Amino acid sequence: MSSRILPNFDLLVPNSTSEAVNLLAHYQERAAILAGGTDLIVAMKMNYESEILISVSELDGLDYIDFDPSSGLHIGAKATVSQILDNAEVKQYYPALWQAANVFATPQIRTAATLAGNVLRGSPAGDCSCALLALGARIVLQSTEGKREVAIEDFWTGYNQNARQSNELAIEIIVDAPQSATGSAFHRMTRVNEDLAKLNGSVRLDMDGKICKSARIAMGCVGPTTLRLPKTEKLLQNEEITPELLAHVTDMVPTEISPIDDKRSTAEYRLMVSGVVIKRLIEQAATAAN
Amino acid sequence: MKERAIELTVNGIALNITVPVHQTLLDTLREQLGFTDTKYGCGTGECGACSVIIDDHESLCSCMALASTLNGRSITTAAGLASNGLNAVQQAFIDQTAVQCGYCTPGMVVKSTSLLRKNPNPSEEEIRKELEGNICRCTGYDSIVKAVQQAAQSFPESDTQWDNAVELKAGANS
Repeated sequence: MSSRILPNFDLLVPNSTSEAVNLLAHYQERAAILAGGTDLIVAMKMNYESEILISVSELDGLDYIDFDPSSGLHIGAKATVSQILDNAEVKQYYPALWQAANVFATPQIRTAATLAGNVLRGSPAGDCSCALLALGARIVLQSTEGKREVAIEDFWTGYNQNARQSNELAIEIIVDAPQSATGSAFHRMTRVNEDLAKLNGSVRLDMDGKICKSARIAMGCVGPTTLRLPKTEKLLQNEEITPELLAHVTDMVPTEISPIDDKRSTAEYRLMVSGVVIKRLIEQAATAAN
Repeated sequence: MKERAIELTVNGIALNITVPVHQTLLDTLREQLGFTDTKYGCGTGECGACSVIIDDHESLCSCMALASTLNGRSITTAAGLASNGLNAVQQAFIDQTAVQCGYCTPGMVVKSTSLLRKNPNPSEEEIRKELEGNICRCTGYDSIVKAVQQAAQSFPESDTQWDNAVELKAGANS
């Protein structure tokens, strides 16, 4: 283990998606996929070994961010967090994602780190991941057998684990289209800005005047994966957002999460603040919607 | 493959080099090309001492990037900013005594230049936020913020100020 020297591996640099999936079909779990490297390279310096790295650095055309009002936001697997931050349509239509990108790590890391990498890493503390779970997203996976889409709520199967098969390449993330009055917000809590979150949360509300038609609520650092809070979401459905309702929300949130003590915070603290974080995010998202 | 031939522009000089695939950009710059102005700090992207500018605007931690995957890209180190004397950021760091032990300084100068190229008129809050990824254990940051504010008066840069590197360092292109 050294923070300076990487173990040996074989590097493969395919030029096209089809070449990449052919390589994956051949090497399967012997190969790891390298994009921004901000997780993988650090892991390899610490304890992770892979015989083969397949770099996406020279894959053509996966660095796009395209917004379409009916089909949503299409983000190529190579698009970086820094590109998310520089995109005016993301800022306007997906404020939760933009706010997550804005506090994500440091500028140097945002230059390299990809949004897809954040989702594939499957960390329960992923900031952009939390925003994407609230906004509603699908991960597009490609193999030699074709493409499939996995809804983000089904994608994380456990701590640092996901539904990608070893012969598949994530090529795109699609974020659901906003409705006529959709608002969203993201917030995270840290000791200092550069830290990973001790708790993060994100809310998307589809409003009709003062009535919340439907809500999607996500919280991270409170379970093995970033969680959705279905009971809290149900409380809001077809209801007017009143102080009384928000008081119910504040009580409900801690019943849906299972935080632990770790080096960033305690279970007790996380339980105590979780309700207030979501309450404030609902207020913020409702304002953004109207 | 275990080694890869790449084209890399460093401080304005186009180089054709062969690098071990598991070599970080930081080691390529320091060990292979002799650009020792870029510093090794934590090796895990926390401290920013290894910051370089990639493709003229964005900052990058060179300790976490593999040189072998940067084929065709352009890298600027702190030394590369001093093409025609010190650039405005470097001069401002001297004027504001924003240097104490100096270890973080190349990264700070590079990051500040990248910030001012993207946002030539930043607020103090924006400066502090952009420098979040650069740790300094001496100055307490105030003098660094003042230096960036001073340098901002000389941005945006004129075309001639764009980094067209220092002399080719000994050992480069070998």
